[in-house]
Amino acid sequence: MSLIHVFYELIKNSATQQEQQWLTTKTAASTPALLAAFVATPRFIGRHAIQITEKNRSELADLVPDWPIESWTLDRLCRVFLLLYLESHDKTAYIRSIETLFDTAELQELVALYSALPVLAYPEHWVFRATEAVRSNMGPVFDAVALGNPYPAAHFSEAAWNQLVLKCIFNDKPIHRIVGLDQRANQQLADNLSDFAHERWAAGRQVPPQVWRLVSKFMNETLFEDIKALFSSPVLPNQQAAALVSAEMDYEPAHQGLGAYPDWKKAIRDGALSWQMLES
Amino acid sequence: MTDTLPLNPSHAADSLPTSVEAEQGQPDFRSYIKGMTFFDPHVHMTSRTTDDYQAMADAGIVALIEPAFWLGQPRTGLATFKDYYSSLVGWERFRSSQFGIKHYCTIGLNSREANNEALAEQVMEILPLFLYKEGVVGVGEIGFDDQTAAEEKYYRLQLELAKEANLPVQIHTPHRNKKLGTERSMAIALEHGLDPSMVIVDHNNEETVKSVLNQGFWTAFTIYPFTKMGNERMVEVVRQYGPERIMVNSAADWGISDPLAVPKTAALMHLKGIPEAHIRLVTYQNAIDAFARSGQINTADFTDVLPIDQSQTFNGNTVLRGGQQPRIDKNDLIIR
Repeated sequence: MSLIHVFYELIKNSATQQEQQWLTTKTAASTPALLAAFVATPRFIGRHAIQITEKNRSELADLVPDWPIESWTLDRLCRVFLLLYLESHDKTAYIRSIETLFDTAELQELVALYSALPVLAYPEHWVFRATEAVRSNMGPVFDAVALGNPYPAAHFSEAAWNQLVLKCIFNDKPIHRIVGLDQRANQQLADNLSDFAHERWAAGRQVPPQVWRLVSKFMNETLFEDIKALFSSPVLPNQQAAALVSAEMDYEPAHQGLGAYPDWKKAIRDGALSWQMLES
Repeated sequence: MTDTLPLNPSHAADSLPTSVEAEQGQPDFRSYIKGMTFFDPHVHMTSRTTDDYQAMADAGIVALIEPAFWLGQPRTGLATFKDYYSSLVGWERFRSSQFGIKHYCTIGLNSREANNEALAEQVMEILPLFLYKEGVVGVGEIGFDDQTAAEEKYYRLQLELAKEANLPVQIHTPHRNKKLGTERSMAIALEHGLDPSMVIVDHNNEETVKSVLNQGFWTAFTIYPFTKMGNERMVEVVRQYGPERIMVNSAADWGISDPLAVPKTAALMHLKGIPEAHIRLVTYQNAIDAFARSGQINTADFTDVLPIDQSQTFNGNTVLRGGQQPRIDKNDLIIR
């Protein structure tokens, strides 16, 4: 089953006959008309939440894994759908078309364009563009790349990846919605996180407890001091995060540490304590 | 340069003590407009601070229109026009949304920069890329400044663009030779076959209002200290001509201006006995009716408290709602 087919099934769940008709006409149009349709989409397509079935979900996952699109609106879905029809054999022309859309895009168009990154042709070409969204201060634009989008994990360099994650943490975004968070964890990021936490603590501010999930595999002396500090924090979720890190890491002093907290150890073993509980 | 305006004969006759009170005692104007909502159809937010957005939201402004204009010095290349238009539909739209204010814009080549013909030609080519964007509610602000031949040329070309896109036109009338410039702007619009109900003639005063209304155009007034209308004069205009097809805006920009001009004028109208229904028309509804002809205004976007875009709610996570900014107490000595 093709991506176009899966998308069309999704659209049928949520679009009226009239909306579907407009889309079908546009998918058969020339490149300039297709690009114009991308821009004009909200004039013809509603902006409401889409309906997604288990069948849709699994069909989509077969083609593009880890792409949670259930929070999309119909106009966003239809815009990405239209882009799937853009003729891509001529690389120069294709890239020029997409770049023009980016360069003249309004807010919702940017969201749709960045959402489409996982399925655009010539994926390696869009890395710089994607990092521009990470630099953006427009919340919805940043979110379109950072959260629920498998493109960064697949294509970002380690430095670009770490910027994305750190900026999410800095802006109190829910990092568990970053696709590939655990797979792309790295020593540099864990060390940066320690520095970041020290700055926040010095300012009398908090660090969201779930961010410590990023350090378990990269334990060293400095980080272990942080974990000990979390254990003695008066904030319960900080203690829970410290316990979870201790249980995950391959660092002998930590296991001895956790020995002092048998209740935590049991809670983790029973599944009563997990990172999911700290997600917010 | 200031307009040549006659002294307003009527406000002195008003016996209500409130204008004096407003000058001396500074009562909070917000107390007179509690629960009212406002639409400012002309304000250049690009030139304003984020504090202004906060104050506007607090005063009841729920939506606004930012016309494309002159940035205070001439642009030297096409790219800066493109980035400017782009910011009106991108960054500024987002900045506004953080305060729960729906941001619309009008897109056009302003009259001053129409005089750089080489650049104006290039700008004309990219205008259609932006005119069809979501939330672009008109072609504007366009019209005359010096009233040169080049200004007329690009004014006419943009009227044709508006016709083709079926978008309203927001006309800037000149500071100098205002009466003549206003008449000329209207005559040319009619010559191009535009329906006056699709044209908003802006920056009117006591001298131009009658003719603009009589010819069937939307008649906008800018409350802007020293050079345009004062709000006491505005009250008398509404008293004399009624609320039909009249709208008030601030045109606040990088000059000495007031982004709260619309709610303040509503408060003054209330104090001076203008009926509530009339206040609502000139500070909210007429602007919506005029610019909704673009098909780009969905009032639910600013009458519903919560954003309707589900993609921004993220399972109720307020941080990601793309919504309200955290409040800080401006009077507090301590900054945390």
